[in-house]
Amino acid sequence: MSLLAQQLVLAILLGGVYVAVAIGFSLVWGILNIINLSHGAFIVVGAYITWTLFGRLGLDPFLSLPIDAAALFALGYLLQRGLINRVIRAPVFFTLLLTFGVNLAIVNLLLAVFTSDFRSVTPPYAGSGIVLGPVVIPSIRLAAFAIALLLAALLSLLMRRTRIGAAIQAVASDRDAAQLVGIDLRHTYALTYGIGAACAGVAGGLLSTVQAISPTAGEPYTLQAFVVVVLGGLGSVTATVVGGLLFGLIEVFGQSAPGLGAGYANAIAFAVLVIVLIVRPQGLLGR
Amino acid sequence: MSAPLLALSAVTKRFGGVTALDHVSFDLAEGELVGLIGPNGAGKTTLLNCLSRLYRLDGGSIRFSGMDIAKLGRHEVARLGVGRTFQVVRPFRSMTARENVAIGALFGSDRARLPPREAFRVADEVIDLVGLGGRGHLLVDELTVPDRRHLEVARALATRPRLLLLDEVMAGLNPSEVAEALEVVKRIHASGIAILVIEHVMQVIVGICPRVVVLHFGKVLLEGDPSTVLKDPRVVEAYLGERYARRVRGSRGDG
Repeated sequence: MSLLAQQLVLAILLGGVYVAVAIGFSLVWGILNIINLSHGAFIVVGAYITWTLFGRLGLDPFLSLPIDAAALFALGYLLQRGLINRVIRAPVFFTLLLTFGVNLAIVNLLLAVFTSDFRSVTPPYAGSGIVLGPVVIPSIRLAAFAIALLLAALLSLLMRRTRIGAAIQAVASDRDAAQLVGIDLRHTYALTYGIGAACAGVAGGLLSTVQAISPTAGEPYTLQAFVVVVLGGLGSVTATVVGGLLFGLIEVFGQSAPGLGAGYANAIAFAVLVIVLIVRPQGLLGR
Repeated sequence: MSAPLLALSAVTKRFGGVTALDHVSFDLAEGELVGLIGPNGAGKTTLLNCLSRLYRLDGGSIRFSGMDIAKLGRHEVARLGVGRTFQVVRPFRSMTARENVAIGALFGSDRARLPPREAFRVADEVIDLVGLGGRGHLLVDELTVPDRRHLEVARALATRPRLLLLDEVMAGLNPSEVAEALEVVKRIHASGIAILVIEHVMQVIVGICPRVVVLHFGKVLLEGDPSTVLKDPRVVEAYLGERYARRVRGSRGDG
């Protein structure tokens, strides 16, 4: 019983990380119709920024999250404005190819700068946890979970209550009509991509505190983000939160099922993806 | 006399081998209301698309308050103060009517671009003005067809344009709805906004436009006051064909 409770807690906390991993990916896919294969690489860049600031300046990893967000926002904005905008109206295959290329470029740049060694961020409170009877809640994972949900709430607020959010939704709804009421299309696209990248940066900062990172660690994150978005459904922050938390549960309990083990994590993710696509292709909360 | 608000000079647009607009030239003064008429395929909507920069010109120039529109982006034309509606309405479907209109006021021309709270206040005013009062909370898909046309006008109006391009906003409305819509156009015009209106309903053109421009096969056939223009044999012929025009002339005994 206590094992089950402990697993449930870890699954929910893991789900929070998935929410952070997927939320920017979901935004970019939903609004720009780009399946951003460089999303995982953005996450890793965020993780390395946190790792560098922690190692060189001793900056607490959670305090470096705004810096991750700002740096990745700038990177995303410029990439979209300068590069991806050129193929935005092309068939989806071209954006896939282009973002895959961007992914390769970033990964190799990271390899050149940071080498392929695994790194981890271990603040002094890394091992601490909150003990609730038989269940232990790791402090860092709890904080990461809270920040992931805060990130989702902020994004939701941005989309609903601000000028930028209004422009993004108008552009997503009708590109031409939006321009003719005075919305700058290219700027709005670049902002959207930048915000998606900023979310990836925050996710990277969070991940660096719970996992070891390496330049090539990004691809599973892209896959996870993809599965979470397909699971929850495209088009809303809430759907991504539900998808992320559910995916955390599926993965933790899937791995502990009799006869399976940690090695099956990716297999379980793909199996879930296939089942969702067959049973409910628009996702649980999709339109 | 001051420079015109809108000046078209030899505007030409081709689609492959088809010349949709052929050296179209006319002016529109600040605050003026002009009707743009012509048979189907005459190039009316093409002209509006050139004005709002959806199309690039193949020749000629369009100046709006002294600026050459060809050098601007679509959103920059809107910011200068050109608002428009689409013949086939294009609302933001994911939003309510009120939100649609508020987008116009949030962005739009340099005279709009309001902070969110004010944008929604302006949206409520405009919604009342076009006769959508009480239905602002509805999603676009819940609106009736006439209401969607009103919404199209409201969103364009909320951008606070200096020139409003209305593309057949009365198509498909019944006579009482047309009368209401006419009142709306008159009120908009009375507030000092220049309007270029495309309309098939002749009652609209005769009723409110002091001046009309007739397009035919992409060329300006005639312009002038509507009662004179509509009786002109060339216009009758363009609309109804040569044989009918001859018959009209014959029955009047002057043919």
